[in-house]
Amino acid sequence: MTSLVSAQGVSKRFGSFTAVDNVSFEIEKGRILGLIGPNGAGKTTLLKALLGLTDCEGTMSVMGLDPFRQRKQLMQNICFIADVAVLPRWIKVSQLLDYVEGVHPNFSRSAAEGFLAQTKVQKGAKVRELSKGMVTQLHLSIIMAIDAKLLVLDEPTLGLDILFRKEFYANLLSDYFDEERTILVTTHQVEEVENLLTDIMFINDGKILLDSPMEEITNTYVEVMASGDDAVKARGFGPIAEGDIFGKSVMLFEGVARENLEGLGELRTPSVADLFVAKIKEARK
Amino acid sequence: MDPKWNEDQPIYRQLRDRVVAMILEGVLGDGDALPSVRNVAAEYRLNPLTVLKGYQELVDEGLVEKKRGRGMFVNDGARTQLLKDERQRFLEKEWPKVAATIERLDLDPAELLNNINKDTSDSGGEND
Repeated sequence: MTSLVSAQGVSKRFGSFTAVDNVSFEIEKGRILGLIGPNGAGKTTLLKALLGLTDCEGTMSVMGLDPFRQRKQLMQNICFIADVAVLPRWIKVSQLLDYVEGVHPNFSRSAAEGFLAQTKVQKGAKVRELSKGMVTQLHLSIIMAIDAKLLVLDEPTLGLDILFRKEFYANLLSDYFDEERTILVTTHQVEEVENLLTDIMFINDGKILLDSPMEEITNTYVEVMASGDDAVKARGFGPIAEGDIFGKSVMLFEGVARENLEGLGELRTPSVADLFVAKIKEARK
Repeated sequence: MDPKWNEDQPIYRQLRDRVVAMILEGVLGDGDALPSVRNVAAEYRLNPLTVLKGYQELVDEGLVEKKRGRGMFVNDGARTQLLKDERQRFLEKEWPKVAATIERLDLDPAELLNNINKDTSDSGGEND
């Protein structure tokens, strides 16, 4: 077993609708993988299959376990914040800590209290008295205090203001992540996570459009801003996307060597957001 | 603080340049510790490997030394070495352009130098 997560031909159908369509991928230990896709792309279904919250066709293996059949064992080494991160509204923060301490063998109460001390969340407060940002902080404090090998975050910063969002990722990097741990994060806020990731995966209509280490993006994709004859020449190399900025054509190339495009215009590595839009459009053609 | 990364260069390279600037400005002196990889990663929300790669460049250039379990430290003479490189670069790349401009605009070099000296004594900046 080398990969932390291994999916081979995984599909999930709801009646005639295929939410996840024959996907295969591997996630190595110590990576931060971003799973990016539009609404309804199959992100959450895929996460559920990975967490054993739903059955699926194909082979899914997480830390050598079958998530659906060995979920109890798996849960000792996995943490998950759902996009609908719901904590009971009536529960007190201190009661919540009691509860997690009782159900999770790898939970460190003192660590959680340490994280909470850095926030404004009071131990005597009830969840319903906390702001949305504070509930996320509470959630994260608990999650980070669990010694798990894989952390799965489904839209963790949805609906939070910019300060909370930045702090969320800063906390993860300073207090949680190390080379023994792996993070899988889905988000719409691509710009916010792109510098954080070691790997990126695009998913659309249940299919994987891109699965690549971030450092290879620079080698595979290049954007050229060109005009006139140079633009015509560049177009000859078959861009996967093209747009206009101030009368110049901006073209995105996949697998075209930079040497070929050198001299035709300004070259740069596309942002993940631009790349994402281009790949989705390409897939919908 | 949130740095603006430009898209022309990989971020690890820009990080390397930042540390170099800090050494040149004297913010980081000989023997000083670089901020830890974890702190830089968290502060800028970067993947720790990116930070490590930027630091590795500095190690490869002999500006910084990695001490096992303790972090990265500025080597003795790093600033002197950088200044030497920068002077060399200025004289080879920049100065011919500056000299050409001075000639083209018919400026008086002596007067220009006079102004520079005045500026530095006003601002109390160092001159070595």
